[in-house]
Amino acid sequence: MKITEFDRTRDLIIVESKIWGRGRYRDLSLAIDTAAAATVVTPYVIEWIGYTARDGTAITTVRSAIGKEQGYILKVARFAALGFVFQDFEVNVFDLAAGHDIDGLIGLNFLQHFDYEIRSIAGKIAVRPATADTASS
Amino acid sequence: MVQARLADTPFISEPLTWEQICERYPDEWVCLVEIDRPIDHNFAFRTARVVGHGKHPRDPIMQARPFCDHYEGMGHYFTGRVRARIMGMVIE
Repeated sequence: MKITEFDRTRDLIIVESKIWGRGRYRDLSLAIDTAAAATVVTPYVIEWIGYTARDGTAITTVRSAIGKEQGYILKVARFAALGFVFQDFEVNVFDLAAGHDIDGLIGLNFLQHFDYEIRSIAGKIAVRPATADTASS
Repeated sequence: MVQARLADTPFISEPLTWEQICERYPDEWVCLVEIDRPIDHNFAFRTARVVGHGKHPRDPIMQARPFCDHYEGMGHYFTGRVRARIMGMVIE
């Protein structure tokens, strides 16, 4: 079980994340979002680690409360958060709302691999890989 | 204009704590290098050096470009209060 700390005084649950691209990586603050199917990263971060929209595998349209946003799906070399790392991890690349103050969201395509417990008062998330045992219990 | 030119000038700060960074660059995005972090997956760090800062997320990234060849890794963080925004889907 890995324990990740977050600042419980913030409006969102924001955790340290790491994303690798072409020969470089970036440390980012991403918000945990159990209502997001995909992990989202903003285009400027993706460009910063050496990818372009041409590396995308599909175009996406996200309908949010502020309107339609076009983006694309991309596999990054590696993605790490909550103490775990995935290779060739798929992210949805699109611009969050103007004036945002995070670099993206950690969605269910990452979280679904784990059992996790969010301890809001303590400001901690306890995470362990999901197993067949925990899935059936 | 003078401020804009100054902000574009490459610089690297001395090692600073997160509290010092927030005090020096309030409500701004910053790019950090040499992040001395005891636990890799937690945000908390002892010190880091600032190589870019600005109001827009892209500002410090542009400013930090001269350092990209020197550092394999960089951090990108907002020093202000992160506000929750509605990101919910619209059901049509």
